[in-house]
Amino acid sequence: MGRTSVLRRFPSVLMAWRNLGRNRTRTALAVLGIVVGVIAIASLGMAGVALEQQATSSLGGLTDQATISPGEDIDTDGITDAQAETIRDLLPGVTVIPQKTNFTELSARNGEEANVQVTGLTNPAPLYDLSVGTEPTRLETGALISESTAQTLGLEIGDPIEYEGQLFRIRGFIASQSGFGSDGGGELVLPLSALNQQDDYNSVTIIAEDGDAATEAATTIEEHFNEDDDEVLSVTTYASVQENISSFTDTLELALLGIGSISLFVASVAILNVMLMSTIERRGEIGVLRAVGVRRGEILRMILTEAAFLGVVGGLVGAAGSLVVGVVMFNVLAGDPALALAWSSSRYLLYGFIFALVASILSGIYPAWKAANESPVDALRGS
Amino acid sequence: MSVIQLRDVVKRYNTEAETIEALKNVDFYANRGEMVVVTGPSGSGKSTMLNMIGLLDTPTTGEIFLDGRNITDFDEDERTEERRSQLGFVFQDFHLLPMLTAEENVELPSMWDTDVDRRERASDLLERVGLGDRLTHTPDELSGGQQQRVAIARSLINEPDILLADEPTGNLDQDTGKTVLDEITRLKQEENIAVVSITHDEQLVEYADRVVRIVDGVVQ
Repeated sequence: MGRTSVLRRFPSVLMAWRNLGRNRTRTALAVLGIVVGVIAIASLGMAGVALEQQATSSLGGLTDQATISPGEDIDTDGITDAQAETIRDLLPGVTVIPQKTNFTELSARNGEEANVQVTGLTNPAPLYDLSVGTEPTRLETGALISESTAQTLGLEIGDPIEYEGQLFRIRGFIASQSGFGSDGGGELVLPLSALNQQDDYNSVTIIAEDGDAATEAATTIEEHFNEDDDEVLSVTTYASVQENISSFTDTLELALLGIGSISLFVASVAILNVMLMSTIERRGEIGVLRAVGVRRGEILRMILTEAAFLGVVGGLVGAAGSLVVGVVMFNVLAGDPALALAWSSSRYLLYGFIFALVASILSGIYPAWKAANESPVDALRGS
Repeated sequence: MSVIQLRDVVKRYNTEAETIEALKNVDFYANRGEMVVVTGPSGSGKSTMLNMIGLLDTPTTGEIFLDGRNITDFDEDERTEERRSQLGFVFQDFHLLPMLTAEENVELPSMWDTDVDRRERASDLLERVGLGDRLTHTPDELSGGQQQRVAIARSLINEPDILLADEPTGNLDQDTGKTVLDEITRLKQEENIAVVSITHDEQLVEYADRVVRIVDGVVQ
């Protein structure tokens, strides 16, 4: 009786609830249609997000980086200290890592040899992931070496390595990189001082907050150093790659949502049919309601409430189902099921629910209007 | 003064083939505390007449007065308000809603009103028609006579001036019909309402204060 008492204050809700309870199979089938529609919309939307995240993570952390190298019109051999300082001053809050590079051949006691690229810098932490060893934020004496090269040469942590007559102890192995920018060759990372015979920097890597900030930083650098058509410094960003991927996945998401909407459209046609049938069946009853003084607007509300009920129940069940699908999908595509709960993907659950509700109410409008506007005499005679 | 009055009412229906005159210059009235029974063969126009009295249909020509007010030109929404406040209906097939309890069926006409004591009045009315122990039963758990008594209670929930009954005993056996008619007669006196009933049933005529006979759309 408790529930009934509450319902009595909302007669349209009470009537709608009881009416839907009369033909449970039909109600369940109508709800099922909505559930399928919502799952289609929400899980396809989430699939788009999952694909985008997978694509972005394949790019690695590169999108927030830009690489500055000497341009065609530079007067010096490389990027000068002064220029590096200017870059630092121009970009507060951005990590600026000037690098000197060279190539050398390493030979080991086991007779193996390896060609490696030598990079001299002070702060390797943001650029390299180590598989073994701890990452120094300032590299002063030690060396980092690619894991694959270390294996070839039979080197272990703590072993010395010689470059230009100086010895450096190996402090860590660089994990093989994923994504762009890795040429697969061996790398030796040394303190900047090791490459002191080179005056200028070969490149400067900047790491900004995100892709947008990196693009902005690149523009700042180009505007400052490159006057007219001169290219003193050349700046390469990866953000544009990211943008291309984003715009592609946005298109993909829209296409997927379009497919999902079709199934929700089919579901709302089913609701239209169910509501139309049930109001035609109840023609006489509605005539009685009208005869005893129930207003047209009240009939309209009652039937719209029925349609809304189908939408709410279908939407909720559908959203719950989509969440399960989303969790599985993110686990497979992005490797982290919890990402399904992030707003960027979970918002599709909300969209699916809202679509279901709106579609159901829209489908209810015509049957409700038809039932409410039938003349009571005709309705009673037809019963 | 008559609580309901038809003056010179004509109702024509246009079909493709011909124009049918269902009511021909009908005059009719009913007073409070009076039971008027309208009889006539089927197709005589008595249902059309009940629709006029019940404000469910409008005349082609002529006038309708409710409590002395000319309501002939009222639109559907205005007539709905009058039905809601002044009229009660009892049908041959009871027309209770199957998914509602007896009590909810009685409340139905005033369900959308934010009237707090309607529930009390509903159970009170069911008590008065002898169904005080059937408040939460649904129609399919009630006999025909019980269902018609629920319908009578429903027709009185809005404290109407007029009770319209369309063959109220048509689907009931003789004895049940008699108890239902006794009920209507008693309530007619207690509530001082006009009862207008159409019927073929001779039994019902015995309860009438006045009988109006209609043949071919003409009141005899």
